[in-house]
Amino acid sequence: MKNILVILPLILPIISAVAISSSKIIKDKYLKLFVAAVVFLNFAFIVNANIFSDLEIIHVITVNEFLDIYFHIDQLGKLFSYMAGFLWILTSFYSFEYMKHEGKERRYYVFFILTFAMIMGISYSGNLFTLYIYYELLTLSTFPLVIHADSKEALQSGKKYIIYSFVGATFIIFGMMILFSISGNMNFIGGGIKGIGEYSDKTLLLISFLSMFLGFGVKAAMVPFHSWLPAAMVAPTPVSALLHAVAVVKSGIFALTRMTYYIYGPMLIKELNGDDYLIPLVIATIVMGSIIALHQDHLKKRLAYSTISQLGYIILGILMLNPNGLAGALMHMINHAFIKITLFFVVGSITYMTGKKYIHEINGLGKHMNKSFIAFFIASVSLVGIPPTNGFVSKWMLGLGAMEANQVLYIVILLFSAFLTAAYLFPVVIAGFFRRGDDEKEGDRKELDPPRLMMVPIIMLSVIIILLGLFPNLVINFIDVIIVDVF
Amino acid sequence: MSRIIELFPFITILLLLIFGAFLTPLIKKKSSIVRTNIAINIITMMMNLVTLVYVNNYGTFIFKFGHYGSPFGIIFHIGPVEVAIAMMFSFVITMVSWYSFYSIEKEIEEKRVGFYYILNSLLLASLLGIVYTYDVFNGYVFLELSTLAACGIIIVKDKKENIKAAIKYLMLSTLGSGLVLMGIAFIYSISGHLSMEYIHEAIVASSLAKENLLLISIVLFSIGLGIKSAMFPMHVWLPDAHTTAPSPSSAILSGLVIKAPVIFLIKIYYVVYGFEFVNSSRILQLMLIFGGTGMIMGSLFARRQKYLKRLIAYSSVAQMGYIFFGIGLGNELGLIMAIYHILAHGLTKSSLFLSAGSFIEQTGFKKIEDFKGIGKEMPVTLGIFTLSALSLIGIPVLPGFISKWNLALASIDSGMIYLLIVILLSSLLNAVYYFPIIINGYFGEDNLDGKVFKSKSKPIKELIPVILLTLAMIAIGFMSGPVIEFIRSGIYM
Repeated sequence: MKNILVILPLILPIISAVAISSSKIIKDKYLKLFVAAVVFLNFAFIVNANIFSDLEIIHVITVNEFLDIYFHIDQLGKLFSYMAGFLWILTSFYSFEYMKHEGKERRYYVFFILTFAMIMGISYSGNLFTLYIYYELLTLSTFPLVIHADSKEALQSGKKYIIYSFVGATFIIFGMMILFSISGNMNFIGGGIKGIGEYSDKTLLLISFLSMFLGFGVKAAMVPFHSWLPAAMVAPTPVSALLHAVAVVKSGIFALTRMTYYIYGPMLIKELNGDDYLIPLVIATIVMGSIIALHQDHLKKRLAYSTISQLGYIILGILMLNPNGLAGALMHMINHAFIKITLFFVVGSITYMTGKKYIHEINGLGKHMNKSFIAFFIASVSLVGIPPTNGFVSKWMLGLGAMEANQVLYIVILLFSAFLTAAYLFPVVIAGFFRRGDDEKEGDRKELDPPRLMMVPIIMLSVIIILLGLFPNLVINFIDVIIVDVF
Repeated sequence: MSRIIELFPFITILLLLIFGAFLTPLIKKKSSIVRTNIAINIITMMMNLVTLVYVNNYGTFIFKFGHYGSPFGIIFHIGPVEVAIAMMFSFVITMVSWYSFYSIEKEIEEKRVGFYYILNSLLLASLLGIVYTYDVFNGYVFLELSTLAACGIIIVKDKKENIKAAIKYLMLSTLGSGLVLMGIAFIYSISGHLSMEYIHEAIVASSLAKENLLLISIVLFSIGLGIKSAMFPMHVWLPDAHTTAPSPSSAILSGLVIKAPVIFLIKIYYVVYGFEFVNSSRILQLMLIFGGTGMIMGSLFARRQKYLKRLIAYSSVAQMGYIFFGIGLGNELGLIMAIYHILAHGLTKSSLFLSAGSFIEQTGFKKIEDFKGIGKEMPVTLGIFTLSALSLIGIPVLPGFISKWNLALASIDSGMIYLLIVILLSSLLNAVYYFPIIINGYFGEDNLDGKVFKSKSKPIKELIPVILLTLAMIAIGFMSGPVIEFIRSGIYM
């Protein structure tokens, strides 16, 4: 019975998605109510599962040692599932209003809820194979969301997304095949699988590690596999927000953490010098993402490149292979999720209320959308890394990690990129508050802040950004358990 | 009781041949012919199921014709591999007959419907014979019979293109049979036997002296049976034949007819020649190369096709590549996976062909670009198509993935890691040509412009056989562990 309770968050969204897909079961007027009920209920199930996870392992299907689908809830999985569950609630409320003008709401909610199940599967999976299955299913279930507009451009971007994802999956499976033939075991164990370090053919281990890292790096938008992410900006804003904040890119980060610290283990990777091959790519990701973001006039594209750069930070933290680095990476995973979803929500509100999508169009808009732009400002400050916001905390941790790794270069890059972040985010705020709009008269003041369903999530998120900056220990203590486990 | 069950393989063939093929033409009423044949198919499937359970419990048994053992009589060898394949064959054929019960009249003239069912029974009998037999000449006879019956179910549509395709098939197939016959002649002259086990003994006794003759004969067998099972460079007949045939026939041709010669080839390799000789003769490297190029080239060809059924046919060439690739790896796991892939692909491809057939039947279109937006009109059918395609692409736990995964492990076992690239590239290519069909089917606004939305869905009862095939496919993926163990217990090497 307890078993069933624990896997409920994996099952409920799937059943609900099926129910939503039929207009006979869920009538149009109850659709939003039902979705709201499902996300809340599922969050409750997540809390329940995470608390009762003293159950070690929940096997679903065991065919042989390889084909063994099971779930195991550990601290990292809890962290990810809490984050996803919480952001899913906010996004669904935001969507209730926003999706009115995008249309095809039923289809949107079907895949929106289905993706929830996939994310839960990813966070609870107990071995690499289960993770991989959910990872593939995530691609398939997010694809309809990306091409929601069904326009030619959307289909083109969707194609790009799916091709990149499948190339990534191919890399992953290549690495998995070699890994399985070496270790015969792909269960996640903090600090790496036992005995994997004793295998004599180190080159083969290195190949499998690099191949898998690059493969999971596709979803984490690592250079040179990043270009699907800006293209996927054709999706409706809540989808972009979710793709960036939790669903897709963070599942890539999560998988990278899993394989680095729970399959190979930091000691083995240091021994293989696996990080040396990847660091140049990561640095390119950070710097290039920021620099390209500077030149984007399209608001969502600018945020997309900013995401690429910020994900670079997280991957850098993962590859520092020391406790502070990993703590910084995980902190930044959470913080960036909150920051980026806020930024996207605000940009979505601008588009929803005024139809404007480019930076040169938003001059003076801050006067009309006061609250939204203040939220944007708070999130920007946080992303740059200025106290007392949560972005500062995670960057501080990353800096400590870099010191521990004796790499001054990393710190220089972090600071340089923070400077660039300021350079591409503040102009938006400045344009909103201090520039005068083209067709604007003195004293002309309209109220353009979005309706309450969209505004409340934005305000909540801004408050959380500051609260997590003031009281970071809440997250740090949670992450410490993970750190102790893997080192 | 057990003695009776041991008769089942023989009874099924007899039933199919005598009642299904020779006596039903005497029935005047067409619908009775159809019903009788479907009944016989179902009985065959049930008997095969019983045999499967029997073999699982009591192990392999030998059936001797007229109580004469070899070398004087012909024997059937009924082991795990044979029953598994036979079960798949009879299951697919039953489902296909069930499917054609509703729809075959739309594709072929009514007066030929009875003929079509009779040919199906004949075909199943001969395929089962190939799978069971332990006698090379007996195998050859069944092989010829299957070719003729297969030609029959292509021609039954009676269009110009069918006749052309069937003649092409017949020509190449006859060439293949000729090579096989020459191979038999060679080994008969060396060993003086036709029974597989006795040939093997004779070969082992005198191997060094006649090595060249053996080498020639094994190449003859490989190429001859390779033509019949559409090994890559010899595949040219397959796309025409499988495209022009009525869809249920295509399902049978792709699912079963090209699989039986592979089983025969595996038996010839490991029962007649034995592992040592095959391994030392480098014939396996040839298989590996042909299989590997087939996996890539078949997919590359498929990518360029404009007609849906032709695309699926080329995909079959690629999938046969996996089977030969598995054989060519030359280790136990590779061979097991070749046989597993025969089962998996038989189920997958037949449901693909039947769902493609439903599209064509309901809309009247043939080209891939015309099937844009089909998911709105026939959501269930496209769903089935999608599941089968996902299996071929290699989404985990579906059988296509299991085959790829284990083939990769087998390649690593035999120390050839670079072969992983072939496997992965081929599965990426599969994704490249199946995904657009699915995506354009379900999504895309442009794809729906100017179309009238009325449901063209088939009634669900007509889709049940296809759904059952798909469920069987999923089951074989989820239960791959026991299935692989079962095959392992009866592998020839």
